[in-house]
Amino acid sequence: MQEDFHYYATYCAAILAGYSHEESMEICYSAQFVDMCSKTYLASIKAPLSAATTQLQLEMMDARTDIIGLQEITRIWASFHFLPKDLYAKKKWRPKVYMNKYRLICGPNSDLMVKMVELAKGKPLQNVGIAMHVLADTWAHAYYAGTPSLVINGTTAEFYEIVQDGDGEKEIPIHFRHSASTPDDLDKHIFTNSLYQGNEKSIMNLGHGRAGHLPDYSFAKYRFYPAWGDYGDIVKDNPSDYYKAFCQMVYAMKYIREKELFFEKDTYHVPEVAPYRKRIDQILRKRQIIACDDWKAFGEELSGQTIEDFDIDRFKSEYIEVAEEHKKDTFLGKFIDGAIAHKAMVSNEISSSGSFLAGFVQVKIHDKISKS
Amino acid sequence: MLAAGGLVLFIPGDSYLLLLTFLALVLLFSGINTLIYYFTMARFMTGGKIMLYKGIIVLNFSILTASLVDVPRIYVLMYLIAIHAFSGLVEILRALEAKRYGGGRSWHLKLGHGLLNLGMCILCCIFIKHVKTVSIIYAMGIIYSAILTIAAAFRKSDLVYIQ
Repeated sequence: MQEDFHYYATYCAAILAGYSHEESMEICYSAQFVDMCSKTYLASIKAPLSAATTQLQLEMMDARTDIIGLQEITRIWASFHFLPKDLYAKKKWRPKVYMNKYRLICGPNSDLMVKMVELAKGKPLQNVGIAMHVLADTWAHAYYAGTPSLVINGTTAEFYEIVQDGDGEKEIPIHFRHSASTPDDLDKHIFTNSLYQGNEKSIMNLGHGRAGHLPDYSFAKYRFYPAWGDYGDIVKDNPSDYYKAFCQMVYAMKYIREKELFFEKDTYHVPEVAPYRKRIDQILRKRQIIACDDWKAFGEELSGQTIEDFDIDRFKSEYIEVAEEHKKDTFLGKFIDGAIAHKAMVSNEISSSGSFLAGFVQVKIHDKISKS
Repeated sequence: MLAAGGLVLFIPGDSYLLLLTFLALVLLFSGINTLIYYFTMARFMTGGKIMLYKGIIVLNFSILTASLVDVPRIYVLMYLIAIHAFSGLVEILRALEAKRYGGGRSWHLKLGHGLLNLGMCILCCIFIKHVKTVSIIYAMGIIYSAILTIAAAFRKSDLVYIQ
């Protein structure tokens, strides 16, 4: 997902969940900041590097793919962008080394997602923003894993975009190129993807690189063959999935605000969203690279306030200038605490499932961070 | 590759035996590794059979390479030349593919590398009766390949940045 959904759509969802404009701005800023908080950024403000929630392109190119490097990559990408759907998934005749990677496949409505939302309750708004980023990505990044793996994240070359054709639908073959600097050509169905790499642990085989940015576009509906799918195809319906993601965000934030008693999986019937279904559907189905303007206009209509554009440095000076003992009370200080707590929780869950792909994590680590 | 080139260049006599043994061992390790990867992981992957074929082919190349130790040097050199001609051809095809997909200027380097590999093989074929000359041409060719490989390792490569 991109800034359109993580920033502007998250703002809209927060307003519909009952948060004020100021609170919604903090939530959506935190949600978008998850895509910005790299080690490079943290080093520039002298913050703990363990709070990194993403890796920049150059950091990834420089990343080691030995076991320590892979664990760091997995901790970041599985925790914040590809939350595993089922850490105890079973498949016959598969060895553990395969299953450890298979179990990291991302998907919505997991036990881990419920646990994450429950943990955000009673915590600062930064934790809520982080949780909303991860929740939204479980929909967009479904079927891919946050660890470099050819046997999981690989795909065949056959991708077909499913587009409206009169009253029905038709399939159009998608062509891929490997030029990251050239924008995707939506009219000609030409997209950029990562190069095929036969090496299991190549960084090119992380997440949805082989599908390019298709999972990031809300309008995209496409059919493809994932490497883990036993030669079966999958139809990824982003407009439908993104709508469910939006509804689930509103529902989750209502629960966090204690407007809902329970948070249950697979619940999308949210009365606050229903009157806007057509409007949201229009934004989601519009063929465009990024939908920031549409979501921003919708958000400003909802709250009657102006939504400031995202500025990565908005809270930087506050964090740098404040005394060491007060850093944890700043906006970024709270974000960093939330990020470390979330990363520790997910890594601990992966470790507890018997996989060391995210490293060895002690159960007590999370408690210690929460208390501090 | 750089060390092997230096070895052949400065001891054009029997250094090829060491080179062959080293090449056979590297291929053997790579082939076994690929087969283990196939049986534990890739056989569950859509299109994963390619790893089985890759493993078997590399293993066969390893055995073939090891078996060439006893044959006259000219045949060994012909075998090595054929391997380089093949890799040169693959490099040229990959360069053309990169150009077709708009892969920036990266295809220039690939094309140059491939053409030089092919050129080296043609020169080796012309001087095939002068074994020492062939050894020197071959050595210079693999040293050039090694330098290009090192240069390529430091180049930026495109990857899709996931958000």
